[in-house]
Amino acid sequence: MLASALAIARDNWLLLLVGQYPNGPLGGIAATLMLSVLGIGLAFPLSVLVALARISRWRALRAPATALVYLVRGVPLLMIIFWVYFLFPLLLGTEVPGFTTMVCTLVLYESAFLSEVVRAGIEALPAGQMDAARALGHSYPQAMRFIILPQAIYNMAPSILSQFVSTIKDTTLGYVINVPELTFAASQINNRLLTKPFEVFLILALTYYVVCFSLTQLATWLERRVARRRAGPALVVVAAPS
Amino acid sequence: MIEFRAVNKMYGDYQVLADINESVGRGEVVVVCGPSGSGKSTLIRTVNRLEEIHSGDILFDGQNVHARMRGTQLNHLRSRIGFVFQSFNLFPHLSALDNVILSPHRVNRVGRAEARDRAMSLLERVGLAARAHAYPTQLSGGQQQRVAIARALAMEPPAMLFDEPTSALDPEMVGEVLAVIRGLANDGMTMMCVTHEMSFARDVADRVWFMDAGRILETGTPAAFFGAPQHPRAQRFLSDLRSR
Ligand SMILES: Nc1ncnc2c1ncn2[C@@H]1O[C@H](COP(=O)(O)OP(=O)(O)OP(=O)(O)O)[C@@H](O)[C@H]1O
Ligand SMILES: [Mg+2]
Repeated sequence: MLASALAIARDNWLLLLVGQYPNGPLGGIAATLMLSVLGIGLAFPLSVLVALARISRWRALRAPATALVYLVRGVPLLMIIFWVYFLFPLLLGTEVPGFTTMVCTLVLYESAFLSEVVRAGIEALPAGQMDAARALGHSYPQAMRFIILPQAIYNMAPSILSQFVSTIKDTTLGYVINVPELTFAASQINNRLLTKPFEVFLILALTYYVVCFSLTQLATWLERRVARRRAGPALVVVAAPS
Repeated sequence: MIEFRAVNKMYGDYQVLADINESVGRGEVVVVCGPSGSGKSTLIRTVNRLEEIHSGDILFDGQNVHARMRGTQLNHLRSRIGFVFQSFNLFPHLSALDNVILSPHRVNRVGRAEARDRAMSLLERVGLAARAHAYPTQLSGGQQQRVAIARALAMEPPAMLFDEPTSALDPEMVGEVLAVIRGLANDGMTMMCVTHEMSFARDVADRVWFMDAGRILETGTPAAFFGAPQHPRAQRFLSDLRSR
């Protein structure tokens, strides 16, 4: 089985890597990564805004942001894909490509989760940071921009990377609306070969595993680094001339 | 410079500040002392409105701090009151130098180069020019507190407030911080300082306020207060302090 899996991988590596590209739409791992990067990349600024709205003292900002977060977190991703898939063309009055649909869905979905990560990062900072900022005369937006958010986001970088890994796995669901990503490519191969589902999906699983595992390792490394930075260096260097 | 008029503050049923009527003159140094939980921190945090009050008025340089005002007005007022915290509260993601540059640059719109030059000379003044590029976690407690003082001074405030600036420090670092504060007092800075450092208070303070249970029970010169406290609570407090 391993040998024939290797043979399948050898014969189809280009399809797995980039899909039909350049003769068709970009697919395979390239599309999966692009979906994930676009999804998280666009969700991130949005999630900061949602997090700020969630902790705002104005109800008018807090209530809708909280509702959005609870709603999105309480519904399976697949439902959201269907909603966006059927609703967007109706609202916009034109056809929306599967890839765009999937990016929009991911942005909506991941921003709800990321906003909770960012909010936790903000709330974990000691109250003295905001006190010091206000005592120096910074406005609330300035305090957030220059003092609170840089620390919160730095401290939360490992969690943000973990969310990126989840996003990669979430892109597989693009399959149901025919987005030509990695899972779609594998299933194309499977349909062509007909008799080798185990081999094909073994390759698929391994590919996801390698990508996600390396990123998880990176997150762990980052986590240790952040923890070290937060605690300060183990030995304080140079007796300061004072 | 700082005037409390019939100030009251409640936490639920508990009265943290009760009928405070006192003032700090321009150039005057007031040391606030009293047992733990007596309301010292709360009192000085009301001066720059980090804490709200329930009734009364607080005037800073003639301006009513707790009046209804626009956010920008309050920010401007706060920028003119230097505040030094017990736990330093330096910004850990910025170097010592950048901690001192940030607020003049962003709040007072001082140009980067100028803010930097002034920050360097302030760090020099607190004896830390050589550590300008160190991050807070790389500095000792005493060094961090001196950077925090430089950071507050960078806004060129006409008055400074200190909330137990040395009580989070190892004993051998207390002196270096008090020396900086002493220098400010000699330069004529108006100051309120919560501290239990008696010898410092004797040297530097013009007056001592003794607080207990939200009230200022006694005020007097350091010589009078430490030499012959009038109020029984103050007598007990001082004898406890000395026997520690
Ligand atoms: N947010 C709060 N809610 C309720 N009670 C509070 C709150 N903050 C402070 N207190 C209470 O108010 C009282 C005064 O507190 P404050 O911190 O001003 O005392 P302090 O004199 O500075 O004491 P210490 O010497 O321990 O710093 C204390 O009894 C404290 O428990
Ligand atoms: Mg206190």
